[in-house]
Amino acid sequence: MGQVTRHPGTTQRRAAGSPFRPLGAAIVALAVSGAGACGAPPDALPVPQTPPADFTYKGAELCMRCHRSEQSEWCDVATSTAWRHDAHSRAHLALFPANPRTRAMEEALGITAATTASCIACHTHPAAEPAPEEAIPEESNRFLHGGISCETCHGPGSGYFEPHLHANWRFLAAADKARLGMVDLRDPVRKTENCLGCHLGDARTGRVVPHAAYAAGHPPLGAFEVEAASAAMGPHWKRVWEKSERIQGLAATHDYHTEAASTSHRSLIAALVALKRSAFLVQEAAEVAGGTADAAPAVPGSAWPELALYDCQACHHDLVLPSRRQQVGYGGLVPGRPGLVRWPRRLAEAAFAVAEMPTAAEDIISPWVAALNGRPFGHPDDLRSPAGAGNAVARVDAAIAALAAVRRDGSLPARERQIAAVLGTVGERCTDLDGARPVGWVLSEAIRYADGWTAAERDLVRARLDTTLRLGIPGPPPRPDDPSPFWRSSLDAAAAFDPAVATEAFRLPAARPGASTSPRSSPAPQANPLRPVPGAAVPLELPATTVPR
Amino acid sequence: MRWFSARFAAALLIPIAPCGATGRAAPPVADCPTGPGCGPPREAVATDADPYAGMASDPALRGLATASCASATCHGGPRGGNHAVQSFAATTWVNADPHAKAYETLFTARSVRMARLLRIGPPHTERQCLVCHSVQDVSPHPLPRDVLADGVGCASCHGDATEWLEAHSLADWKGRSPADKAAVGFADLSGALERARVCARCHVGDADHDMHHDHVAAGHPRLYFELAQLQRRWPRHWNPHGRAESSPDFNARSWAVGQAVALEAAGTLLEARTARAAKAVRSGAPARWPEYTEFDCQACHRTLATAPVLAAGNPLPRQLPPGTPGWQPWFVTAAGVLDAGLDEPLAGTGADLAARVAALRRLLADEWAAADAARIERIAAEARGVVRVASRTAVTLAAAPDIRVAAAAHRLAPRAATDPRLWRGWDAAAQTTLALEADRRGGPAALGVHHAGDPPGPLDMLRESLLHPAGFDAPVGFDAERFQRQRADVP
Repeated sequence: MGQVTRHPGTTQRRAAGSPFRPLGAAIVALAVSGAGACGAPPDALPVPQTPPADFTYKGAELCMRCHRSEQSEWCDVATSTAWRHDAHSRAHLALFPANPRTRAMEEALGITAATTASCIACHTHPAAEPAPEEAIPEESNRFLHGGISCETCHGPGSGYFEPHLHANWRFLAAADKARLGMVDLRDPVRKTENCLGCHLGDARTGRVVPHAAYAAGHPPLGAFEVEAASAAMGPHWKRVWEKSERIQGLAATHDYHTEAASTSHRSLIAALVALKRSAFLVQEAAEVAGGTADAAPAVPGSAWPELALYDCQACHHDLVLPSRRQQVGYGGLVPGRPGLVRWPRRLAEAAFAVAEMPTAAEDIISPWVAALNGRPFGHPDDLRSPAGAGNAVARVDAAIAALAAVRRDGSLPARERQIAAVLGTVGERCTDLDGARPVGWVLSEAIRYADGWTAAERDLVRARLDTTLRLGIPGPPPRPDDPSPFWRSSLDAAAAFDPAVATEAFRLPAARPGASTSPRSSPAPQANPLRPVPGAAVPLELPATTVPR
Repeated sequence: MRWFSARFAAALLIPIAPCGATGRAAPPVADCPTGPGCGPPREAVATDADPYAGMASDPALRGLATASCASATCHGGPRGGNHAVQSFAATTWVNADPHAKAYETLFTARSVRMARLLRIGPPHTERQCLVCHSVQDVSPHPLPRDVLADGVGCASCHGDATEWLEAHSLADWKGRSPADKAAVGFADLSGALERARVCARCHVGDADHDMHHDHVAAGHPRLYFELAQLQRRWPRHWNPHGRAESSPDFNARSWAVGQAVALEAAGTLLEARTARAAKAVRSGAPARWPEYTEFDCQACHRTLATAPVLAAGNPLPRQLPPGTPGWQPWFVTAAGVLDAGLDEPLAGTGADLAARVAALRRLLADEWAAADAARIERIAAEARGVVRVASRTAVTLAAAPDIRVAAAAHRLAPRAATDPRLWRGWDAAAQTTLALEADRRGGPAALGVHHAGDPPGPLDMLRESLLHPAGFDAPVGFDAERFQRQRADVP
């Protein structure tokens, strides 16, 4: 272990080092020899009360030494194998001109992607970004060739890589692990913030695809639903409820409840986080921007305004009459002004409804919208602290807390039915593909575990949503110069989106609460199982939409 | 003299009541939805016993109302009447001129929906609408509906007639100098320069006629302006003798002067908007900058599903950074070629203009969305420079002995078609087509004449290729290379 090389480029990031160095060698020896018995009685593991000032990156190679095989009932996914098949492991390939799209973008923008901070920030290991004063040859920057790997999401490893080899590591509370630098990705809020850092953007850390990059050919960042995307990339983990009963029991005795009740609950929590992030995105850009003529931005390259942080479709739509843009309405925005990113809104409304706090998404974002009405793109000064933002955030956080408090128990199928019904109702109101897809993803997931519908009915709903909303998430194209890359078809679909067809796809057959979910006991398919039965729908309380019709 | 003026006005007013102007004046209330945004007009129109009551009691309005001019014995005579005094002017206007319907437009379903989306009052009560859709901009005071109902009437272009209404009916009016006439508020519209500047007030915009992107987003059509084309399509209500039409290079001059004036007006508008925005930013008030109508519509308004504008390996140099909208592609297209229309290119005029416009576009590439007052003011300063040079160019072109547009059209054409990255295609292509039409079509005799019966020639085909697809308000699918091939077919 001692030979882990320190990369010169990251020297400045390093602090005093791990407080566990004397323990390290012994623990590693134990773990590698397989002697780390699972479920051993918890011993005290030293946890610093104050975190070190800074953690540093160790590199994925270190993790791969252990996480390459199914070692135990705790770690029974061959993590490194799963990750190797995950597109994230190849994210760094887009930094090099061997990719024709990258070459075209570099020419158009006059940059070298592999040395440009805003490219590196999302396409490879966070340690790959060279310090401004040090020019590192590309070949010797080993982090540059790492892709989005372990530490990108789980946190820099210098603090936890030794302690987490200890048999009692898993009995540490998430907060204690966080003090050692490990991010609690089982917490849906934390995980969503992590994923959205790149998949939506984060101006504070410079993780923003600038509008110029899109104009030069960067693929669009469309609607994003954390759990559907996780499933598509091939999870290298198991949820607690997927593990053995013994482990589940242990987790219960240690009050391990950060995972939420089900995947759809996680998705709903994530949607609320996304709604919040869509507003913070612009607010944080205002905070770091150089708003005045002479003030340099806090984050280099973040001049105000960054168009890419707003709703793309606000501007990028065909000028067709009658205008769907005018029909959909402006949600409190002055016509013709760019608004906040739209896709989180409808699913977030569903989350509010499930949390029994019916709220219109447009109400939540109204403080930021008011600031955007002051002038096109808003003025940084108005956006730094929009009036009423605190109250809006509190309402979102209350809904998150309500959803997170739900425990996984025998009522799950009924809960999933309720969620599916809410999503169906919300989905019928969707006016754009990007808003509808997250709702469709979660509905597809929730209905799998819901009672009240036959297997055939559930499959039909899922199939119809899949075709209408293009729920499949394809991997990257087999060749980088693929003339019709995967996002092209989703853009075409967005342009051709027909709300009427989507409304039809979201219409659920009448649920029969208590009906068996087993396909064997389901009755013979009816003539039209999707026709709703009047009066049989699950009663719902949904917010009155503020979108003018 | 006072008794005379009152009697004169009465004589003018009484006979026109049954004439066409009055019939047209009532807004089409059937189009006006009974929604909350559109209640008052129906009632008001229905209950006004005498629609001219307000006017008769207020002599100040005589100079603004079209009724003052449209008497059958003055300008409301039969078509083909006395050409010397334009006895048919108001008749032609009321029967054939779209300007006469400008006010009615404010009652269409589209206009009412616009007002609803903009959360403003009914359009026919909003000064921001009325300044271009009626004679309202001539008067600082709100005008009664019967005057507004004339739409863009005589006073909108010829000026408030209060001071010259009587005088210009007298025999010695013809002998007065343009300066004398201007002194009493009569606008001289005999030359291309004067006409272009009057038209540009609304058709391009200025500080008081600001049709901005909020309006467009709510449903207002985009503005285009090209003087030669407008004059050819516009029903002429005057005698061409002794006016701009009588010169053999009328079309070419209209095109060239119109382009220079349009650029002058676009620059003035930009300067007004940025100066106003900078002031608002300084005082912390809501500011309208960036103002999107200053920029290329197609830069933003294309679905992302269409192929990216950029293609790898294009060797041509880039004018603007990726993702930056260009300033006013419609108005800048001809900036570099205006001197080509002159018999003897004037020293540096065209080049100056092109350089000024290029500098402004470069500045806007960085500052088009500037949030800071000082940076917005930089744009205003640069816009002032464009206005100065464009203005000088317009005056020079208006006074030039002979203007030919052929050379300009041929220099425009390559710009339209070579690189969509530079010119975004359609705006420049449309301007090229209009320049070709100004060169090959028209002439004084063809004014106002439609060529409906003629078989379509290559120029018609070229125009056809620029039409928007059905249902679209944008040149979706415009192919610059195809345009270039078709243009080559034009003899």
